[in-house]
Amino acid sequence: MTGVPDQPVLAVRGVSKSFGGVRALVDVDVDVHEHEVLAVVGDNGAGKSTLAGILAGAFRPDEGQLLLDGAPVALDSPKQAHALGIAAVFQDLALVDDLDVVENLFLGRETLQGPFLDEVSMEREAWTLLDQLAATVPSVRLPVQALSGGQRQVVAVARALLGEPRVIVLDEPTASLGVRQSAEVLNLIERLRERGHAVVLVSHQAGELQAVADRILVLRLGRVHGEFAGDASYEDLLAAMTGAVRPVRGEHDAVPRGARHAGGAGVVRR
Amino acid sequence: MNSGRYPSAVRADRVTPGSQTSLREANRARIVSAVQQRGSLTQVELAGVTGLSPATVSNIVKELTGAGVLHTSPSTRSGRRALQVTLARTLGLVAGVHFGTRSLRVALADASMRVLADQRMPLAPDHRADTGLQRAALLVAEMVASLDAAPGELLGVGVGVPAPVDVRAGRISTVGMMRGWDGVAVAEVLETELDAPVSVDNDANLGALAEARFGAAAGHDAAAYLRVSHGVGGGLVLGGRLVHGRGGVAGEIGHVTIDENGPICRCGNRGCLETFVGANVLLGMLSESRGHLTLRDVIARAREGDPGCRRVLFDAGQHLAWRPPTCATSSTRRSWWSAASSPRPGRSSSARSARSSSSGPSPARRARSRSWRPSWARPRRSAAPSPSRSTRPASAGRWG
Repeated sequence: MTGVPDQPVLAVRGVSKSFGGVRALVDVDVDVHEHEVLAVVGDNGAGKSTLAGILAGAFRPDEGQLLLDGAPVALDSPKQAHALGIAAVFQDLALVDDLDVVENLFLGRETLQGPFLDEVSMEREAWTLLDQLAATVPSVRLPVQALSGGQRQVVAVARALLGEPRVIVLDEPTASLGVRQSAEVLNLIERLRERGHAVVLVSHQAGELQAVADRILVLRLGRVHGEFAGDASYEDLLAAMTGAVRPVRGEHDAVPRGARHAGGAGVVRR
Repeated sequence: MNSGRYPSAVRADRVTPGSQTSLREANRARIVSAVQQRGSLTQVELAGVTGLSPATVSNIVKELTGAGVLHTSPSTRSGRRALQVTLARTLGLVAGVHFGTRSLRVALADASMRVLADQRMPLAPDHRADTGLQRAALLVAEMVASLDAAPGELLGVGVGVPAPVDVRAGRISTVGMMRGWDGVAVAEVLETELDAPVSVDNDANLGALAEARFGAAAGHDAAAYLRVSHGVGGGLVLGGRLVHGRGGVAGEIGHVTIDENGPICRCGNRGCLETFVGANVLLGMLSESRGHLTLRDVIARAREGDPGCRRVLFDAGQHLAWRPPTCATSSTRRSWWSAASSPRPGRSSSARSARSSSSGPSPARRARSRSWRPSWARPRRSAAPSPSRSTRPASAGRWG
């Protein structure tokens, strides 16, 4: 277990990304630590998913760089990011509905025994993974379309966990789920954190993020609009999200300190 | 949710290990625990989960249905006919809802007090009453549906909140204890949402009641219960009845003043016990050197031997060890139970009494059982909770 003062596993330095005329991210700095849930929150179009994409290797930043354990890396594809220990689960989950759970988990990286698939060991590993996540999937041989939203989410997370990644990026994991399934996903995030993974959780539901986050990064219009401690008050978060308050000193190096302070002492506001 | 709750009606008392009987026995337990864990599933899925053959599953399900343990209803799965298996319910369902400081927990049980479904959900710090209550109501409704039960089968809901409660009105009576929950009519809101009678009480009171009726304090006519989680709460049972006191504050040991010059507490008084052992205070002491931690992290690290985390828990234990006697001495002291938030905060109440060290001792006891504890702390150990002990602890002078 490492604490916050340690070196970040993954750091984003001065990253910008544009899609045509839209500046999705402007000069963003983020640190991701092990054994920590970093929540990224923002309004629609704040650049949350772009940031998730950049961390997961789906997008290449126009400017700036990513540091893995302090060394610059270029992530060209999610596959390469996964090889470096960064796994992502995107909003659409990218599961194949007609394949069963085991086939989905190992799609593209099947375990082979000679020329044949080693179904037995794959199934065993699938159960191990799902059990670790305390998943309530009835059978690993059910097609994914027969599972509930929460169970699919668990399968997608389990797939990301293959190969023991150090950083897990979850993009809107509770967006389409009911209360009970959201509860499952939030418990799952807590367990991932306890297992020592670094979790980057992207969502626009501040209340849900606060339940599990150690740190909360607020994005607004592609810029970092404040970094808060996990116990910052909801009002402070909303104010930063909606632009009701401005970052204290403009640039992000100054913002995290000031905002974190304000966040920690959010009680002062009332 | 383990196979330990497997009804005794089906369990043969002695079976030879490795025999046919023991195998069938084990298979039955597997099926019951699988159904318990997942609420409701078809026989085919049951075969998948347990790894038993469909024929075995079918036989066992038939047998257990006959014994009144399971309940089957016809349904369809992928267009084929299937048999949906649930635990048998007689006389409807009851729900228990616990709002913790950082989590919500909902459990459903049947009238025979067997827990059928159990779900925990982390909550934000300073979670709001409106969203919290709505979530709890939705969660109860979803869990009832997952057991294949109609909403009308819900007979009643019990709610525990970490604040003093005016039991008759079903609302939180003290201002400032839970931010955003002041004066919220918890019972009224949930009753309209769930259409079932709702009763609300302080969570430590409910813990005390549970221990007095079914747990460690069963058979004693006076019991006090200490709940140590993010905050500190206490419940008193006298003559088998809960003592609420005026405004529901009886036994609220977390707000007994231990330092007249101490910091101002959220309750408005000065130097309350909670300003020394509350989770925020403990975490605050560690945040400078160890960054952002959760209560669970602190406990896990203390177990691993982190001296700072141990120290914090040790000190908290000392403060706690000083306080219980002040409220216990006034009543006839028979037994003390403490539910500590050890591996999982919020999971403490009835199931985890701190009697056996394996079930999560309170920070106080844990700290005192460390090998490096100072010698002056040792005598107090004899005052550790024990039902068989006489009414006065050995070190009564110190405690009184």
